[in-house]
Amino acid sequence: MRYKDTLLPRIGKPVGFLLILLAISAARVSALTNDDCLGCHGDKSMTTQRDGKTISLYIDGDAFKKTVHADNGCLSCHVDADVKGDEHPVPLKPVDCAGCHDKIGERYAKSAHGVAMAKGDKFAPRCYDCHSKHDILKPTDPKSSTYPLNIPYTCGRCHQEGSKMTETHDLNKHNITSNYSMSVHGKGLFEDGLIVTAVCSSCHTAHDVQKASDPASSVNRNNIIKTCSKCHVGIAEQFQKSVHSPLVTKTNKKLPVCTDCHTDHSIARVNQKDFRLLIARQCGNCHEHKTETYMETYHGRASLLKGGERTAKCSDCHGSHNIMPSQDPSSTINNANIVKTCSKCHPNANQSFTTYLTHATHSSADKDKYPYLFYTFWAMTGLLVGTFAFFGLHTILWVPRSIIERLKAMTQRHPH
Amino acid sequence: MTRTPVLYVERFSVFQRFIHLLIILSFLTLAVTGMALKFATEPWADWIARVGGGFEVLGALHRFCAVITFFYFFLTMILLYTSWKESDKDLFEFIFDPEGLVPNLADLREMIGTFKWFFGGKRPYYGHWTYWEKFDFMAVFWGIAVIGSSGLALWFPEQFSRLFPGYWLNIATIIHSDEALLAAGFIFTIHFYNTHLRPEKFPLDPVIFVGSVPLEELKHERPREYDQLVASGELERVVTRRAPAAWLRRLATVFGLFVVTTGSVLIVAIILTMFKYIQHN
Repeated sequence: MRYKDTLLPRIGKPVGFLLILLAISAARVSALTNDDCLGCHGDKSMTTQRDGKTISLYIDGDAFKKTVHADNGCLSCHVDADVKGDEHPVPLKPVDCAGCHDKIGERYAKSAHGVAMAKGDKFAPRCYDCHSKHDILKPTDPKSSTYPLNIPYTCGRCHQEGSKMTETHDLNKHNITSNYSMSVHGKGLFEDGLIVTAVCSSCHTAHDVQKASDPASSVNRNNIIKTCSKCHVGIAEQFQKSVHSPLVTKTNKKLPVCTDCHTDHSIARVNQKDFRLLIARQCGNCHEHKTETYMETYHGRASLLKGGERTAKCSDCHGSHNIMPSQDPSSTINNANIVKTCSKCHPNANQSFTTYLTHATHSSADKDKYPYLFYTFWAMTGLLVGTFAFFGLHTILWVPRSIIERLKAMTQRHPH
Repeated sequence: MTRTPVLYVERFSVFQRFIHLLIILSFLTLAVTGMALKFATEPWADWIARVGGGFEVLGALHRFCAVITFFYFFLTMILLYTSWKESDKDLFEFIFDPEGLVPNLADLREMIGTFKWFFGGKRPYYGHWTYWEKFDFMAVFWGIAVIGSSGLALWFPEQFSRLFPGYWLNIATIIHSDEALLAAGFIFTIHFYNTHLRPEKFPLDPVIFVGSVPLEELKHERPREYDQLVASGELERVVTRRAPAAWLRRLATVFGLFVVTTGSVLIVAIILTMFKYIQHN
């Protein structure tokens, strides 16, 4: 009573007015129910001609009742279908989802897809290109086009060689979907049905998709660590303490981000052959001399042959996300830890064993550092060149004499 | 054995031939598996590894053949020891026997004589071992010592580094690899040519497999040995009418040519690769 006494007199009038307005509009809308629409569109044979093609205008009313929009009237999206007679204007305007989903609409408008759309790019995806039209289900529904298991197919309809889009647009990355399905994420998804694995939208976002070159993109170099860290929390923690982290190393040089070592769509399990063979090359993109000299040693040489994935790779000795310079006590190659590190493969390793030079060469560039290698190599080369020079000459001079001897022997055996 | 009107003289005993067979089999395998690692950047090396079943298989074969190498080294020692015991010479006389395997001044003169012969001089008065044959023997001896010891270090790096500094393994790698290149290069070009491929012998001298040579050939090729046999009256004792069996000769030819071809192909691949390296640097 008190409520009525105090509040209603003050707001009662405007609220009442609004209620009346709503009642009127509802009465008008309810003039056309979904059943009214389905009166025509429930007919499977209903079609129309557009751009010379026959298009079905049939809507499955029962299926619609199972979608997220089941409680919406047709007219809440197709506002211009709201006419008194049987015929509405044809064609209807494209549906504006942002009418309800306004926040997503704003984000979409700023995304690469939205900007392309605004520029009139006819391949730019509208909401329904990803979410479908009348069959929109919750992303948690296995039948939804945005269910994790289906996302690669949804995105792959355009982002794949041979799609209609690629006729007019260049793909920055190639074989995205096939690389993805071979990747650790893709295998998790397709082989194990692991729906918490990373799908396209996990890294690229759903509505904020930007080109990687855009600083605002979730897959821009500067944001990659943050993006991967959404799932790989523990690794990110290790990485932020490592020499590669911008928090530890202040430098103008490029520091590596996740994708520099792990690649992007083809990202492999780190214990897999492909990744192990890749890693030396990836590290070598920055640590060029170290990789070259590694390739001169047994570990590197053997890694080039079949089965070579089993020899020590950069990360086996230096660590990966926890990598630190050798002077740091936590480094796997610090004097305090090196025997343990070598022991992973060489169980009887000892301190003297660890003085094996894993990156040394006999090249003149390393002459001052490793003179004994330089001089050993040249002494051996001298022996080699000397031996071959002498016997090479001996052999070459012998050839004509030997031919003469052979001919002589032949004429003796077959005297004319 | 086939009886023929041709007189034969045994040059290599069954034991010697067996040792050489071990050398061939192990050396060829060592060379192929080792060079695949040394030249791992090359497609042909990768091919070897793929055919072999991976670098670990190559490594296992390499170590197995290393054992064979140490084994035939040991057999050679037995051979030398028994020859010494049979020779009723003292050790010094045996080692420095002018007709033995250790090179001497007479070999230097013979070598100079050979160079003269190349340019039209008289053919030297060759004996049981020519200087290039002595070099072959001594080179393998030296090679096994150098490649074998450095190879053992690389085979057991943890144990080796208990006795020596670990970085000596880097030195051992260079020595092992370059001495092996020298050995393989030498055998697959110089030894193959001197013994088999030179026009006088082409395509193959089967004596190391069949054991004996026709007396006429010995007389022509090694006149000093022939004259020594005649002078000592031993010739009567060593000649035989038993020619090497036809199947053995055929087998020797097929096997010998297979080995010579394999070695030659490998050395061609190595030489082409070395040229590439030199061009690049």
